[in-house]
Amino acid sequence: MRPGAAKKAHLSRPMRGRAPLLDGMVVPTLIVLALIIGYPVVSTLMLSVQQYDLINDAAPSYVGMRNFSDIASDQIFWTAVKNTLIYTFGTVFVAAFLGAAMALMLENLNGPFGNAARAIVVSPWAVPFVVVAFLFRFIYMQKGGVLNAVLMHLGIIEAPIPWLNDSDLALPAIIVANIWTTTPFFFLLVASSLSGIPDAVLESARVDRAGTWATLYHIKLPYMRNPLVIGSLLMIIANFNDFAKVWVMTQGGPGFSTTTLVVYVYRMAFENFRLGYASALGVIWLILLLVTAALYFRLLRGRD
Amino acid sequence: MTDAGRQGFRHRQSAGRRIGRGLQFAGLGFALLWTLAPLYWMVATSLKTELEATQLDPTLFPHSITLQNYTGLAGGSLPFMQFFVNSVLTCLVAAIVAVVIAIPAAYALSRAKFRAASQVGYLILIVRMFPMVVLLAPLYLILLTTGLLDTHFGLIVGYTTFGLPFAVWMIKGFIDAVPIEIEEAARVDGYPRWQILLRIVVPLIYPGLITTGIFVLMEAWNNLIYPLTFITTLDKQTLPAALQLTFTGQFKTDWGGMMAASVVTTLPLMIAFFTVQRSMVRGLTAGSVTGT
Repeated sequence: MRPGAAKKAHLSRPMRGRAPLLDGMVVPTLIVLALIIGYPVVSTLMLSVQQYDLINDAAPSYVGMRNFSDIASDQIFWTAVKNTLIYTFGTVFVAAFLGAAMALMLENLNGPFGNAARAIVVSPWAVPFVVVAFLFRFIYMQKGGVLNAVLMHLGIIEAPIPWLNDSDLALPAIIVANIWTTTPFFFLLVASSLSGIPDAVLESARVDRAGTWATLYHIKLPYMRNPLVIGSLLMIIANFNDFAKVWVMTQGGPGFSTTTLVVYVYRMAFENFRLGYASALGVIWLILLLVTAALYFRLLRGRD
Repeated sequence: MTDAGRQGFRHRQSAGRRIGRGLQFAGLGFALLWTLAPLYWMVATSLKTELEATQLDPTLFPHSITLQNYTGLAGGSLPFMQFFVNSVLTCLVAAIVAVVIAIPAAYALSRAKFRAASQVGYLILIVRMFPMVVLLAPLYLILLTTGLLDTHFGLIVGYTTFGLPFAVWMIKGFIDAVPIEIEEAARVDGYPRWQILLRIVVPLIYPGLITTGIFVLMEAWNNLIYPLTFITTLDKQTLPAALQLTFTGQFKTDWGGMMAASVVTTLPLMIAFFTVQRSMVRGLTAGSVTGT
C-alpha cells in the first residue's frame, strides 16, 4: 500500500475546509531526521566540492568538480563498484532462490518436525553480522579451518585452500556467508505469501489434477512474485550498505579484491582522512540511491 | 493440507510422486545441514578446550566438554560484562526512544489528514534506505563539536535516527489495522487527538510496538560502523565492535574464547527474534507490504 492510499480512504468523509499541509504529530520525527540526516546530507554535498584532508591540517579549499573527475579515473573506485554489484546481486539472487525453495519444501510439512525445521531455517537471521563474519572466518581458515579439513578428509581437495586470502576466492567466500544470513529473509517472505493463497484456489487445482510443477508454476509463482520483487529490492539496498561482514572477514583485501563501496568510503574518510573525496563518493552513492528508490516506488505503485 | 487432500494425495501417489517426495526430503536435509552446520560449529568450538579448539586437524565433536571459555569471558582481562551491558543499554534505549517518537508520526500518516502526507511518507522511506557510511563523516563532526563523541548518548542518537524511519512505517502498518470507528466514539465525546492516540490506539497496538522495538534493537545490535567510529574508549564499546577490536589481541589464537563470545553476542538477539517471529515478515518489509 502506498502512503497516499490511507488518505484516499478518508476522502469520502466530509472534510471541514482544506486539509492542513502538515500534521503537528509528524513534526518530532521530521526534526530528528532533519538534524541527524538532513544536515549531514547538506554537509556531504558541500564537502564533495572541497579538498578537505584532515591529515595535513590544511583548511578546506573549494575545488569544484575535481573530486568527481578524480573518481571517474579512480581504478579502485571502479573495482569497488564491480565488487559491490557482484556482492549484492550474487547474494540476493541465490538467497531468494534458496529461500523460496526452502519455503516450498516446508509448505506442507506439519507437526513438530515441520515446526522445528521452520524454526531452524530462520535462525541465521538472528545471528549478529559480526558473529556471522567471525564464524565464517574461522570456518574458512587455511590452517585448522573446518571447511578445508572436511574437504580434505572427503578427498575433494589435496591441500588446504586459503579461502579468504586468495583474491579470486575471497569475494565468493564472503558471498556464501552472506547468503547464509540472507536466506531466512526470503524464506519468511515466501512462506507467508504461500500461506496467503486461498485454500479454494489450491483445492480447485487439485480437483483439476494439476501436477506439482503445474500448480507451482501457474498458481504459487504468481503469488510469490510481488513479495519476491519487493523483498529483493529491499535486500539489494541493505546489501549495498553492508559493512560489518566484509570489514570483519577481510577488511576489503587481499589487495582490493573484496573492497566494496562501503569499505572504500570508510577507508577514504577514516583511514586516509580525505573527507572531501569521501563525500564526493557519497554524493554519487546518494544519486544511485535516489534512482533505486524511484524504481522501488514505481514497483509499489504498480501493486495497487 | 486438509485431511481430505492428504487422503487424495495418498491414493494418487505414483512413482513420480515418490521421487518428488524423495527429492523434497533430500532438499530439506541439505537445507537443515546448511543452516545448522555453522551454528553447530560455533557452539561446539566454544565448548572445546583451548588446545582442541585450535588444533590443525579440528575434531568434529568436542572430546572433553568444558565451560572454561565462558568463565574466561567473565573473568578475563577484557571487560566483557561491560561490553554486554553497553550493548544492551544503548540498543534498548534507542529502541524505546525510536518507538516513542515514531508513534505520533505513524498515527498522523495512517489517519493522513494533511496534504503533505504522501511526500512525508516517501521521504521517510528514502531515509530508511540511506547508507550510514555516507553520512558518517558529517555525523562524526557533529558529535565532535557537541562533545557527544565517545559517549553512549551519541551512539544512541545515531541508532535512534536510523531506527526511526523504520519504526514509523512499521507502526503505521499496525495503526492501519485499527478500525477508525473505534476512535469515533471518543471523538464525539470531545477527547483531543492526543488522548485518543494514547488511551485508545496505543493499548490496541501494544504487541506491535514491542515487535517494532525489538526490530530497532536488532538493527542497532547489528550495527558495527557507528560504535567503531563514535566510541573511542574500549570500556564504552559495544559487544560487536569489541569483538572486532580485541580479536587481533586476545583472540588471535583463542578461537574457543572467540566462539564463546560469539554465542554470548548471539543469544540476546536470538531470544528477541523468536519472541516476535510471528510478526517478522510484516516488520522486515514495513513500508512495502504494510496494510495488507
